[in-house]
Order: sequence, then C-alpha cells, then structure tokens
Amino acid sequence: MSKRLEKTKRNDKDIQLIQAINAGRQDLFYQLVERYEKSLYNFGMRMCDNPSDTEDMVQDTFLNVFKYLKGFRYETKFKNWLYRVATSACLKKKRRSKFAPDRELSIDEFLPSDESAITTELPRWASQPLDRLLNEELGGVIQQALLDLPEKYRLVVVLRDVEGFNTQETAEILGLTPANIKVRLHRARLFLRDALKAYYETE
Amino acid sequence: MKQSDSHPPHSNCLALFEKLSEYIDRELDAPTCRDIEAHIQNCKPCQVCMGTLKQTIELCKHLEHRSVPETFHRKLKDAISDLAEKHPG
Repeated sequence: MSKRLEKTKRNDKDIQLIQAINAGRQDLFYQLVERYEKSLYNFGMRMCDNPSDTEDMVQDTFLNVFKYLKGFRYETKFKNWLYRVATSACLKKKRRSKFAPDRELSIDEFLPSDESAITTELPRWASQPLDRLLNEELGGVIQQALLDLPEKYRLVVVLRDVEGFNTQETAEILGLTPANIKVRLHRARLFLRDALKAYYETE
Repeated sequence: MKQSDSHPPHSNCLALFEKLSEYIDRELDAPTCRDIEAHIQNCKPCQVCMGTLKQTIELCKHLEHRSVPETFHRKLKDAISDLAEKHPG
C-alpha cells in the first residue's frame, strides 16, 4: 500500500467500522448511517429544498454505499466518498426538481456599479455577533439565496462553508481542480453577500 | 474601491477583491498576505468588503442543522434492512 493510502486510512475515523462491516458485520452498517444521516439530510435540503427529493437522495446514497462499500479502496476519506455518492444522487434529482438555471457568475457583476455604491462604513449586520443575527428568518434568506445560486456554485459553497470540507476535499468530491473550487467559491460567496446586503438594506 | 488622494490605486482594490476568499481561508503565501494587509489598512472600502464577506462566510458556517424526520429515519432503516436481507454479507 502506498504511503498516501496509508495516511488516508490513518486519518479516517470511519475506517475501523468499515473494515468490520466488510469483514462480515453487516449489522454495523446502521452505525455508519447514524453517523452521517443528519449531515446528509441537511446537505440534501440545501441542495434540493424539497423534503421528498432530499429523502430520496439520502436513501439512494446509503443504499449505494451499502452495495459498493466492499469496493471502497481508501483512496480518500470515507466521508469524502460518501459525499461524492450523495452529490451524484443530487445531480440525478436535478432533472425532476426546480433548480436555478445554470449560468456563469462573473466577478465583474459583484463590483460596485458606480462611485455611489462604494461604502466606507461597515454595515451593522456585518459587525454584530452571529447569535444576534441568526434567526429563522435570516436562515430562510440564506437558504433562498443558496437556491438562487446556479448549481455548480451552490455545490461548492455548501460543501466548503456549510459542510466544512476543505478545498482539496471539495475538489476530490466534485472531480474538479482546487483552483476551480477557489474561483467558484469566491463568486458564490459574493453572490450570497449581495443577497444579505439586499436583505438588510430593504429591511 | 476608488482612486482618490486618501485611497490606494483602484487596481490594488481590484486585485485584492479577487483574492479575498483565499485570504480569508489562509490559502495565500506570506508575501501576498502582507501586501493585502498593507493595502487594507489604508483602504476603508476594502475593509468593508472584507468585513461583509467574512460575516457572510460565518453565517453559512453557523446555519442551523435540522433533525431528520422520525418517519424518514424509520423508512431508511427499513430500506437498509431489506437490502441486507437480499445481499447477506
């Protein structure tokens, strides 16, 4: 086994459980489900905004993982592989769901349109503690802004900023280069920032 | 983000604007970070830009995670049990 694979195995907290399942303890599979059920469900809700599609996606993901776990080669962390399977299930759902149209976001569209749009004072929402800001309504504003994002940007920002994967892991999950992830992430964040600005300015 | 006597040249703002996320994520090399910090210290619009972007990221990181509905939790468990019966290890 190469050094890289050994390192991946060493750093993967799921490895013992997976080895036990693959050695015949199928009854332990549900422990794996319990570890990731909630995070995958929330990932699905951010991506689909539809409980029915989300449930289908989560179920399809775990059933596929159950079928193909024996073939898992530890080339990446189990969690990254799980999200790769989940992402693929999400994209299949896209055909039947109401998604924002795919379009490119250009960095230019986030620049101030003219001198009057340039601000030199930090708005109140950007300087307040998070616990004062985060409420159901704001959660809804961010969720809607995520859904308004073209899917290829939404996937990146959800994996990076909501799910907490790093750039390299997100690149592995989506089969993209780290440079590509960084570009998409920055544009997605600017898009969300503009949505928050618009929300607080019209409040 | 404008050129005036009190602000650094606009091109520096644009260069920073493109790198803000990488700066916030600590993915830039030390000299580039130092350049950004030197610029931002004297550029109010870029400070605002950085502050609003940082807060946006923090809000995303702290979004509420809802619980899995109990009915779905049971449905998923049943689906896995069914599959395990069909494909015994």
